[in-house]
Amino acid sequence: MNALTVALEIFRYKPGHPMRYDTFTVEIEETAHVIDAIDLVWARHDPTLTFRRACHHSSCGSCALRINGIERLPCITRITDVCDGKTPIRLEPLRNFPIVSDLVVDVSEFFQRMSATGMTITCEAEDYLPLTVDSFAVADVVPKMVELPENLSRFNRFEQCIECGICMSACPTMATDRKFLGPAGLAAIYQARHKTDDPVTVKHLLGLADGEHGVWRCHSAFECTEACPQAVDPAGKIMALRRELALRRLQRLFRK
Amino acid sequence: MTLRKIMPDLLELNDGLFVAVTESDLAFKERFLEGCAACNIRASEISVAHALALEPFLNSAILAAVQIPDGVFEPFRFCLAFLASAQQNGAVVRTFTEVTDFVFGGRDLIGVKTRDHRTGKDETIGADVIINAAGPWAGEIAGKAGVSVPEVPTAGVMVALDCRLNNMVLNRLNKPSDGDIVVPQRATSVIGTTSWQVEDPDLIIIPPEHVDRMITQGEQLLPVVRKVPMRAKMAVARPLIARSGTDARDLSRTFECFDHMRDGVSGFVTITGGKTTTARAMAERVSDIVCQKLNVKAECRTRDVPLTSYRSFFKSQTL
Repeated sequence: MNALTVALEIFRYKPGHPMRYDTFTVEIEETAHVIDAIDLVWARHDPTLTFRRACHHSSCGSCALRINGIERLPCITRITDVCDGKTPIRLEPLRNFPIVSDLVVDVSEFFQRMSATGMTITCEAEDYLPLTVDSFAVADVVPKMVELPENLSRFNRFEQCIECGICMSACPTMATDRKFLGPAGLAAIYQARHKTDDPVTVKHLLGLADGEHGVWRCHSAFECTEACPQAVDPAGKIMALRRELALRRLQRLFRK
Repeated sequence: MTLRKIMPDLLELNDGLFVAVTESDLAFKERFLEGCAACNIRASEISVAHALALEPFLNSAILAAVQIPDGVFEPFRFCLAFLASAQQNGAVVRTFTEVTDFVFGGRDLIGVKTRDHRTGKDETIGADVIINAAGPWAGEIAGKAGVSVPEVPTAGVMVALDCRLNNMVLNRLNKPSDGDIVVPQRATSVIGTTSWQVEDPDLIIIPPEHVDRMITQGEQLLPVVRKVPMRAKMAVARPLIARSGTDARDLSRTFECFDHMRDGVSGFVTITGGKTTTARAMAERVSDIVCQKLNVKAECRTRDVPLTSYRSFFKSQTL
């Protein structure tokens, strides 16, 4: 095992106490991910460090934070990708969320917004394999069509969005409008809208998107799409919702 | 089947395939089919050609394939849905809060001392009955009460690939062994797992050779595995019950409930062992025992009542 010596500069905050940064130095295997280093700090150096994590493989979205100022999932970020061997790796909580303690932010309002979209977390699967997060082919693995078992009408799979909040942190509009539905919420509205033809539901969803804190508040910075670890492309979905809303307005205008 | 009823939105339901790669696997097939029949699991043997049409990246040299009903859930949202439902029914969930000690009244447990690591605040919570459901930490918690449980924290390594190579859950058609399952989820396939006993469930160092073993064994099911970049590798501890032998593979995956009255400590019950898929049944068992202790007569309803949305768990998390 080849070990690296890595310094972590971690944002610390406890209610009633001033914010600060603590630096910890750990020995860690060179193929480790950043979450492994955080675990090591907690288990061996400071059990009062609070952070969130569950799945360790970019499925739950709970460990999202900022690494060297950029929103990432530490469970899939290799130490060697963010460590230059000279400066400490800086770990900070997500932006645009209230800070609860250390790296933990309050995600309750975010999940309420996701609930409001009505998006279910499963969808129909594509009819080929392999599926990749970013839709780019894996070298030497040629996609192949799949057949369905007789007892299934479709294969299904979980939606790509893991509700990690990374896009909400990266979004400059969120910093100016705390009620903005945000990239994840608007992308969820897009997904929910494309799962239904029911006119009442469509009207409700497009009404949410068209509202005061909906798609028109977006500054088109595309930071959300850049930061998303699951290649959801929230900005692309916001633009698609704008196109549909604009088209419907035009149609109404000419009907009159 | 109960989980399909109470959490239908939280499952990828794509069935599973048990495939024979070796003659040894093939020899296990009849025993497997008999076992499924005995448990009322609908298992049907399908042709190798059909299996390859369903799963085109499957090893084309497989000797047999058996299709069974199977599915995949996300453990995190699975847990949140249970916790959110418990909150809806009056429970208070204290995350980031460590049990530091117990409060004794003679030899009986009458409370828990806790520390909330978000605030550093210590608190004592009184209780009629304390249930130790600390998973791989159950032994450590029991130790604070001066009792022991026959539990062994047992870790397993899993490797998540950077793409999804299968729709159905793929298993080796044989007794459980290392790297005998590839679980698809979202846009990844996860190969699992190894099994070894660990001293400290807080920090598990992944042995590099276990990762190599996952890739080598995964290739038996899906030969392209080695061509796909690794997205993540992880190891967590499971609470296995030590009843026979010392080899981690021999430890039972079943669950047991221990009323520590047997150790002379009243008001303290441990539920441990099991797997995530048996979590609801474990809760039913321990709730029934606690109801009996408290002389509460109530039917457990959790096998029939759909869970509330996992998203609502976070409504009450502000300090």
